[in-house]
Amino acid sequence: MDRRREVLVGLVVVLGIAAGVFGSIWLKGGWRGGQTELRTAATSVGALVPGAVVKFRGVTVGSVEGIEVLPSGEAVMVEMRVLEELVIPQNAGVLLAPESVFGEWQAEIVDRAEFGLPPFLDYPEAGVLPGAALPDFSRLTASIDQIARNLTNISERFEIAFTDETAQNLKNMIDNMGVLSDGLAEIIAQQTERFEQLAEGVDESAQELGAAARAARISFEHFDSLLLGADAETMVADASASLRNLRELTEGIGGSLEDLRAAAQRADATFARVEGLVVALEAPDGSFGRLLGDPALADGAVEALAEFRGLLADIKENPGRYLTFSIF
Amino acid sequence: MAELLLRPFAAIGNLTLAGLESMGRAWRMFSSAAVSMRSTDVWMPLLAAQMARVGVASVPIALFIATFTGIVMALQASYSLTGAIPSYFVGTLVGKTMILELGPVLTGLVLAGRVGANISAELGTMRVTEQVDALETLAYDPLAYLVVPRMLAGILMFPVVVLLAISIGIAAGWFTALQLLDMSSVEFVKGLRIYFAPWDVWFAVIKSLSFGAIVTGAGCYCGLQTEGGAEGVGRSTTRAVVAACMIILCLDAFWAAVLL
Repeated sequence: MDRRREVLVGLVVVLGIAAGVFGSIWLKGGWRGGQTELRTAATSVGALVPGAVVKFRGVTVGSVEGIEVLPSGEAVMVEMRVLEELVIPQNAGVLLAPESVFGEWQAEIVDRAEFGLPPFLDYPEAGVLPGAALPDFSRLTASIDQIARNLTNISERFEIAFTDETAQNLKNMIDNMGVLSDGLAEIIAQQTERFEQLAEGVDESAQELGAAARAARISFEHFDSLLLGADAETMVADASASLRNLRELTEGIGGSLEDLRAAAQRADATFARVEGLVVALEAPDGSFGRLLGDPALADGAVEALAEFRGLLADIKENPGRYLTFSIF
Repeated sequence: MAELLLRPFAAIGNLTLAGLESMGRAWRMFSSAAVSMRSTDVWMPLLAAQMARVGVASVPIALFIATFTGIVMALQASYSLTGAIPSYFVGTLVGKTMILELGPVLTGLVLAGRVGANISAELGTMRVTEQVDALETLAYDPLAYLVVPRMLAGILMFPVVVLLAISIGIAAGWFTALQLLDMSSVEFVKGLRIYFAPWDVWFAVIKSLSFGAIVTGAGCYCGLQTEGGAEGVGRSTTRAVVAACMIILCLDAFWAAVLL
């Protein structure tokens, strides 16, 4: 009886422990054949946790064993165990991304040529695959939420700014723009017309210049024919004499002009002195000026002058009254 | 009037003192039992029998409870996770819940009723029929003879029973998902594995170890404190089950706060 009981107890204990151990290994994803270690480095791992699946072309080939931040803090090292027989592509990278919308993440071995974005971290250590993490759904939703809030703010501000007055101003501006464009069109039309007229004038001028050139050519031809004539020397001698006379006349006119310029300068100096005198006389603080400006003073001066004349006459008549000579 | 006012305070004081007295007695008993573990020649021959009584005999009821818990969990998970949530989360929910919570706690509560009551009634009857006194008279250490093998059996066998219960519960949930919920094994296993961490199993083992100690310890303590004949035996049995269940729930919260 005791033996049977002991066996029973042992059996139950073994069964229980086996259930715990083998169940854990099975749930952990063990018994997948030979496995090898694979490492990747990324700047972030998002929500990746140890135990997350590793996929290659959509097939689960292993699991994430460990995640640790490197002591330098520049990257996160992810250790994975994958099937030993798995052939990793030459340009492979590990993309860390959500496996579904429910939060679990996976590590997927991908060809980097097929996934240009996001930038993979090339960790300078042999055997470490470049890794990159996609943004989490929460980050995306947070970004979308931010964008939505910004749009709301913009629409609110637009609503605040775009009042009836703004609309009226806008309408006026559009009307003004219409008027302005009409004016510009008119100016352009006028300018076009003027340019056309100018072009016609230029054309006419060119024609006239052409006619003048033709006439000049004819004259030169006549002149050449004259030069070729027998009395050419006489004509040259007459022309030379005429030129001499003309030079003498010019010199004479030049001398007369010099005399005229000197007379004009003297006249200028005289007029300047006269003007200065007049200014001095008319100065309000001067005697003559005050005399001219003040009638009472002028009357006083006339009276004083009359008295002065009377005094002079009295002195002439009675000098002894005013002059006395004495030796001692 | 004054007596009426003082009565509530007196009641609280009595309860406090009684609680402290019980705790002191329990502490003395368990420390003495720990000392009695040196008497291996006394408790060792009895250990296998107690393991069979406490553990092996409890397996059927534990598996029964776990089976239906797994079935109900799968059905309720399927009912709750309709809509946008993928069906493989049924596996996640069944696995996580069975390993972390329902496996250890339900098994502990069930065994508190079965094992704790059994031990308390047995030791209480021995106490009221003076068999314990007879052991002392015969120079047997009653703690080494009665308490140590039962508590060791509980501590050793509870994790085993709980691991079996968890396995059967998950298997039952899996079976239910396949047969009743139109899920595939691949989906259910994916859900099971997706959030599984080995630490979860260790968490369940640690909890069940403590539950085993509590259930058998409460049964032993209440049984040895029995007074008053058959009525006292019934009272101590009830007290042992209630105390074990309450402590199990408190410990469950404690371990969750400390270990998770």
